[in-house]
Amino acid sequence: MKKLFAFLIKYSIVILFLFLEMFAFSMIVRNNGYQQSVFFSSSNTLLASLYSVSNSVIEYFYLKSTNEGLASENTALKNQVVELQNQLDALHPYIPDTGNIKISPDKEIRFIQAKVINNSTNKLLNFITLNKGTRDGIKPDMGVINEEGVVGVVSTVSEKFAVVIPVINPKIQINSKFLRNNYSGPVHWEGHNFRYANLNDIARHVVFSLGDTIVTSGYSQSFPEGILVGTVDDFKISDSDAYYYIKVKLGVNFRTLTHVKVIDYLNYQEQQNLEKTMQE
Amino acid sequence: MIIFLQNIVRFILLVLVQVFVLNNIRLLGYINPYIYILFILVLPVKFSRALSMLLAFILGLIIDLFSNTPGMHTFATVLVAFLRNPVINIFTTIEEGANPEPSFYTFGVSAFIKYIITLVLIHHTAFFFLEIFTFVGIGQTLLRIILNTLITSVILFGINSFKKK
Repeated sequence: MKKLFAFLIKYSIVILFLFLEMFAFSMIVRNNGYQQSVFFSSSNTLLASLYSVSNSVIEYFYLKSTNEGLASENTALKNQVVELQNQLDALHPYIPDTGNIKISPDKEIRFIQAKVINNSTNKLLNFITLNKGTRDGIKPDMGVINEEGVVGVVSTVSEKFAVVIPVINPKIQINSKFLRNNYSGPVHWEGHNFRYANLNDIARHVVFSLGDTIVTSGYSQSFPEGILVGTVDDFKISDSDAYYYIKVKLGVNFRTLTHVKVIDYLNYQEQQNLEKTMQE
Repeated sequence: MIIFLQNIVRFILLVLVQVFVLNNIRLLGYINPYIYILFILVLPVKFSRALSMLLAFILGLIIDLFSNTPGMHTFATVLVAFLRNPVINIFTTIEEGANPEPSFYTFGVSAFIKYIITLVLIHHTAFFFLEIFTFVGIGQTLLRIILNTLITSVILFGINSFKKK
């Protein structure tokens, strides 16, 4: 006890110093958000590295049971694969070609596969004829796409054939938007080159750049949201203009069009009726 | 008694000047001299070490309260008070029985300059590293420490050269 007191007296200055400094330091760490975060995060890093070291040792003891679990899981999965493969082979002739186009889940949509049997690209009023008609469920106003993007909208239908107004026809406009910021405007073809159309009504405050993707806006019943229309190829705006002139490179090459998918929007009639009652 | 009053006045004056004048100086974004530690630096040589540390603690705490930096000035100032006596012993030899306040006159010019610069450097190093609390961008921090040490030291020399005797 005597020795302890002697020790305390001998080092009283150092002890006081350490006490005061610890007090000051705890004040720093407790009251300053920045120091607090750094201090506690670095102590957390220390803890985490300790944990990872201990874990790297311990995990070896559990290798055997982990292995057995993985092996049995593997067997079960293999059995499942074989079974599914058999089912798939049996069903193969009946699987419809739905492609891999993204559809938003809140819209109920069905695709009808069709073949292009007449097509023009060099006129002003271009049309496409398909080999499917009313007996296959095709109705006017249905959207037409292929794996490259938007093709057009069904205009008139007979029993076995349908005529589509493609994007490269000045009679229609496809309501589209920028994928990156959702500003929308109609894409309209002006009749010069079948690879390019214009995106109109984009005000000068909208920020975009060359190569930006333009997709359908989903504001019409013909197309669900997010189907590729084209990419920005060129744009200009003069000082007095309120809107950009945007040249869009269309996703679809209409010269090589062979197979298309017609979009059957199952709630079309309901939505149409509802909107009509509002207008009356 | 006179020395006691003198120190109280000095304490208050230094705090006021530091808080209301010098803390508002941010010259070139680097320079913010901290002259309040002069109070600790010119305490009599044989002044109780424990008491000087407690005074340093209070002084630092007051400066911290005013400059919204809880603990940082306190830490640096207590450190200076702790290291003051060893530094005095390194640079000067005090006669037996004498208890002078450190100054150009009592220490001699070169010893006093070394004494001040050493302790100001220690204080500023502690303070600026606590303030930034990282070793990233250490060059910037070191530049800050060195510039401020020079400015603070020059101001302290100026204050001290007005002293009589």
